[in-house]
Amino acid sequence: MTPVLELRGIDKSFGPVQVLHDVALTVRAGEVTALVGDNGAGKSTLVKCVGGIHPIDSGEYLFEGKPVHVHSPREAAALGIEIVYQDLALCDNLDIVQNMFLGRENKRGLVLDEDTMEEMAARTLASLSVKTVKSIRQHVSSLSGGQRQTVAIAKAVLWNSKVVILDEPTAALGVAQTAQVLELVRRLADQGLAVVLISHNMNDVFAVSDRIAALYLGRMAAQVKTSDVTHSQVVELITSGRSGDLGLTNGVPA
Amino acid sequence: MRAGPSQEEIRRHNLGALLRHVHLSGPTSRAELTNRMGLNRSTIMALTADLTAAGLVREELPRETRRAGRPSLVVRPESARVYVFAFDVGVDRLVAARVGLGGTILDRRETVRRRGPFSLDDVVGPLAAFARQMHRKTRPDTVCVGIAAAFSGGVDRGDGVVRFGPNMGSVDVPFGEELARRLGLGLPVSVGNDANLGALAEHTRGVGVGCRDLIYLHGDVGIGGGVIVNGALLGGHRGFGGEVGHMVVNPGGRPCGCGSLGCLEAEVGERALLEAAGRFGAFAPQPRDGSQPWAGAAFRDDERSGGDARLADGGRPADPADGARSGETAPPGDAARPGDGSPVPAGSSPPAGSPPPADSGGALVGRDAVRAVVDAADRGDIVAQAALSRVGDWLGLGVANLVNIFNPEMVVFGGMLREVYLGAAAQVRSRLATDALSPAREHLRLRTSALGDDATLVGAAELAFTKVLADPLEVLARGS
Repeated sequence: MTPVLELRGIDKSFGPVQVLHDVALTVRAGEVTALVGDNGAGKSTLVKCVGGIHPIDSGEYLFEGKPVHVHSPREAAALGIEIVYQDLALCDNLDIVQNMFLGRENKRGLVLDEDTMEEMAARTLASLSVKTVKSIRQHVSSLSGGQRQTVAIAKAVLWNSKVVILDEPTAALGVAQTAQVLELVRRLADQGLAVVLISHNMNDVFAVSDRIAALYLGRMAAQVKTSDVTHSQVVELITSGRSGDLGLTNGVPA
Repeated sequence: MRAGPSQEEIRRHNLGALLRHVHLSGPTSRAELTNRMGLNRSTIMALTADLTAAGLVREELPRETRRAGRPSLVVRPESARVYVFAFDVGVDRLVAARVGLGGTILDRRETVRRRGPFSLDDVVGPLAAFARQMHRKTRPDTVCVGIAAAFSGGVDRGDGVVRFGPNMGSVDVPFGEELARRLGLGLPVSVGNDANLGALAEHTRGVGVGCRDLIYLHGDVGIGGGVIVNGALLGGHRGFGGEVGHMVVNPGGRPCGCGSLGCLEAEVGERALLEAAGRFGAFAPQPRDGSQPWAGAAFRDDERSGGDARLADGGRPADPADGARSGETAPPGDAARPGDGSPVPAGSSPPAGSPPPADSGGALVGRDAVRAVVDAADRGDIVAQAALSRVGDWLGLGVANLVNIFNPEMVVFGGMLREVYLGAAAQVRSRLATDALSPAREHLRLRTSALGDDATLVGAAELAFTKVLADPLEVLARGS
């Protein structure tokens, strides 16, 4: 099956600093791909390149097998790529429906089509088996951390998206809420979406991922199936870029 | 020698199949049923007419259609009229529910069960009282078509007697018979092992829908299991199959309630986790010499980084004093929990049989205690992290064995194992990666229960519905 998203040989520099070296990444539908790496390994830059925030210097960007050029977040969204950033980018003073449609409101003539938006929001939350939210007209300021994360994720899948990228969705959540968010992440992939999960928590990574892509100093050390590796191997890939046969040899992928 | 099924048998089978469809998939249009069952339209019409006449389903016009033409009638189960009683007997809780056809929980009651010596009366009494309360509230035109219970113990398929339940303290208990007598509804009570029923529930209504080979692991105090092979529950000769909790993973290891040593349940169960985390103090003696009873256990993966799965916290100073303290005191987030602030009677072991402080003061037990350990580990408590990682390692070994033997498509973690798996997935999967055969683990999916704490109850309801789904008209004729 053709991967939904495939990057090959991505280079990215900020002035004299080269942040990404020849990075390859494959993301498949129905799978959770965990993107791991130490602080400064290039995870966020890579994601921002995918999301059209940073232009790539060179390399191939294939979406559903076809080469594309993504120059802005809107173009990424048009392809079906949604990114949920750590800060969630939700507006506290708006309710759940308003947040989910922020900037992309449905209109009927000149006025907003509140009914349709409400129905779509409710249907999306129901399809994700979200039961914790009392009312979809609740202000986001009244939600807990886990509920906010849920709303942000629901916002990302509302648009028939194909790839959802989650940046540390469980950071700063309690155990019960972490469990709910992890189950939601898994459900997204089981429903056929391609999910990229950025996380520092190895238990979260192993709990839900199908593949692990480990970045080391701007290079893709290895992309492996989660069922084939151990915790210590992944930690080695993150901290030294190699583990046994896996990973980089003298700075280049084996 | 018979010449194949009779007309009547085919009709009965089709009635059951149609009812099962509506029961499991919810309201379904006649057109859809025609498609899915592979019968022609007039047959479907005749079958639904029979079921409608019996009051098992209702036909309605769909609320909205976007397609042209006459809309196909939607067949929906009579959830409010046809119901079963389902019971769940866990170590720490007793649940009774009235569940409508289609799986809707119409009414439910729950109470805490105090740990201690088993008394049939203390279990059957509250359950029967709950059922009577719920029965009084039903309308006169409703009909109860079955009763079933999930029991944390091994149940004999022949007579429904609970033969063993080391965590409940029950031996040879005629639980179903007694509950049926106390209910006085004129219906027998089917009894099943809770984890077996949890497996059925996840298979029919949970995360494992459409999955033919599935293993459900249920963590209560011990570890139960249900193995579904090619769509059917593996019961064994007398129904005691699937007791994966008593698979010996560590010969000579920790003592198990069943009398053996090193069972999966003894290494992974609630007690193992709480003892390893230094939180098992309220009603059991501490290890005599203070040494870790598992110190002799061989760990193959020696280079493993001490269970510190949280890489970002790797640089956190590992203050042993802090770790030791947190073994005794509750984490700050739990201070609000009732009864948590009171001091634990240090080292005291009450006489056998006195109820543990499940809901009075003292240390937490049950799911709350397990959650507290996972929570503490998440906050950086190194003792809790080590405990969780140790338990995760044994759990992974158990799952690896099961994967090698049964080659399931999915393994589902339910009960308290949901928390344990999510909190120790790195260990569980590392162990799988090294110990499970690679072709068997390649397409394996590890999931947490979709039905959560209700999995066993939902399974009991499905067991109660078995008869009406097998022969709808007969059961209803008897019931009314």
